[in-house]
Amino acid sequence: MPVAIFSVFVVWPLISSFYYSFTDWNGFDPNYEFVGFENFSKIYKDRLFASAAINTVVWMAAAIVLPTGLGLFLALLIDSRVPGGAVFKSVFYLPICLSAVVVGQVWVWIYQPDWGLLNTTLSYFLSEKFNYAWLAKPESALFSVIAAWSWQQTGLSMVIYLAGLTAIPSDLTEVCELEGSSWWQKVRLVLLPLLAPATVVVIALSVINSLKGFDILFIMTEGGPFNSSDTLAMHMYNESFRKYYMGYGSAIAVVLFLVALTIVWLYFRQLKKVDEIYS
Amino acid sequence: MNVALRKLLVSSCIAPAIAVGASAAAGADNEVTISHYFTGELGLKILQENVAKFEADTGYTLKDSPIGHEDFKTDILVRAAGGGLPDVFSYWAGARTQFVADSGGLSPIGDMWAREGLDDVVAKAVADSATMYNGERYLVPFNYHYAGMFYNKQVLADAGVMELPTDWDGFLALCETLKSNGVAPIALGSKFRWPAQFWFDYLLLRTAGPEYRAALMDGSAAYDDAEVKEAMEIWRGLVENGYFLPNSNADTWTDASDKVARGDAAMTLMGTWITGYWNGLGLEPGVDYDYFPFPTMREGVANSVVGPIDGLVISSNVQNREGAEAFLAYMMSNADVQSHWTSNYGALSANVNVDSSVYNDVMQRVVGTVAEADTFAFNYDLATPPPVAEVGLSMFQRFMDSPADADAILGDAQVAAAEAFAN
Repeated sequence: MPVAIFSVFVVWPLISSFYYSFTDWNGFDPNYEFVGFENFSKIYKDRLFASAAINTVVWMAAAIVLPTGLGLFLALLIDSRVPGGAVFKSVFYLPICLSAVVVGQVWVWIYQPDWGLLNTTLSYFLSEKFNYAWLAKPESALFSVIAAWSWQQTGLSMVIYLAGLTAIPSDLTEVCELEGSSWWQKVRLVLLPLLAPATVVVIALSVINSLKGFDILFIMTEGGPFNSSDTLAMHMYNESFRKYYMGYGSAIAVVLFLVALTIVWLYFRQLKKVDEIYS
Repeated sequence: MNVALRKLLVSSCIAPAIAVGASAAAGADNEVTISHYFTGELGLKILQENVAKFEADTGYTLKDSPIGHEDFKTDILVRAAGGGLPDVFSYWAGARTQFVADSGGLSPIGDMWAREGLDDVVAKAVADSATMYNGERYLVPFNYHYAGMFYNKQVLADAGVMELPTDWDGFLALCETLKSNGVAPIALGSKFRWPAQFWFDYLLLRTAGPEYRAALMDGSAAYDDAEVKEAMEIWRGLVENGYFLPNSNADTWTDASDKVARGDAAMTLMGTWITGYWNGLGLEPGVDYDYFPFPTMREGVANSVVGPIDGLVISSNVQNREGAEAFLAYMMSNADVQSHWTSNYGALSANVNVDSSVYNDVMQRVVGTVAEADTFAFNYDLATPPPVAEVGLSMFQRFMDSPADADAILGDAQVAAAEAFAN
């Protein structure tokens, strides 16, 4: 039964996408032609694909740095038994329980130029009206969405790091304390190396989730203004469902699938290496 | 390729579509399936009341699946992919219906049209522009909208404006008066791009005329032509003079409407659906808000009005053709149904038997404005093929961000539009 469900919902759509990527199908017309690799060669000339690919890479890079770094920082803070650590843990984990649509809408309000939380706070500190339109400017739209997405992802990274910290034998950290190591030395020389398996999982999940970051982007900017925050997933949607180039959209989907496949392969390879080191 | 394999691939593309198709096939003889995008609280309620009336009068049963406006554009493609289109669906007349008709997704309704005598029911101008595609009749115009300049009456009164502009000089003077009184003259919510199209439509139609605009829409004219540059230059003047509220790309159309309703701005160029929205907020038509037609700009240029037409069409895989045709005929020709639907939904009826007294004061005058017009033009994203419309809609948003780059923006748009037309 699970195999049948997996086949219907994953394998067949996947095969269908590969199939349509070699056609000029428009999504409606049952009469379409096979165009060979034309859709794939079109990718190289598509300026919007190029900017969407760059944005996707930027998002992936941010996914490695932001949720990972912030998640680690919060996990170390909570693990050092700060007062109210359990409360902080719940608070920082909460966003991951919300749907991306809800998170996106909340951040649309935070970024609202006239009365949003961000500009209101900045206006207070700058002592003058600050009404920068974070989501409406091509310079800031993508980064604003990434910040909102990272806010949601950080809780997941934090929990994975906390699990990793729990697995580290306490006698190792106690030795550090007995030998008079500073907090930073303990983190750098003991905790971080031992957290390597958790780091691999966090980075892999963050990067894979960044490739899936369509819903929050759709709610916050729809890839705008004027395609400046398009990612490959958004570009695929635009080409398939707004321009009715279903064949070309399928070709973009195939490229996206291959990128995801490469990342998953790298993830398992790293995981194996880490396993080998620890065994 | 092998038809069986193709069907298998198509139907497996999106699994839920299979379920929809299967349920359509399994429907009872008197069941008609319909999908539409009239999902606003008020619109859905009124439509369901009319559907109940249809069911009671005809004995057919309607299986309704309403889907939000934006999601509908995707959903209908998914259903088509699975061969699971409903018997009837709502669709936008113009280039989008042309696309579906070209793709073989629609059933002609010419016989039903003649049998039901719809030539005597549907306003000729609307029938001519919205119902025929590739020489066949495919669509009944369920309702239409008109885009005009909707304004806050109190704001204009406070600024001492006694007379509404009818020409461009008068409009510029109005903007200047409002600005000098500390009120932003115009609100625009172009976050999701389409609201900006009405400015492009009217500026081009009022300066270059409907024939040139039609040429631009079908690809025989270019975006870097002098006519388009002139229209954009005028638009640029309005933006650079500070007549538009800043950050229009951060606002949706409802944000912009709210700003006018609150008095943060004086007016907004929007479709008549804004009346339904404002009425829902408790504003009184003719008292709190009113409208004036987009001013004339040049002598000798035809008076065009702009707006969309919401149609009902029958899909090519219709299971219950008789019931589907009965539904279209009933919804179009029944004057009571049309009156109830359009007067409550903030739309206008193309049924000539609908008495305009059913509309509020503002909408009654809109009917007159449309009747006096020389041509009814579809708004931009319904007038040009969807891939080209995507180019233009992004162009308008980019222009609102950096109007000084208008020439470069038009050059880029022409390259992209030419590619889209070539495909």
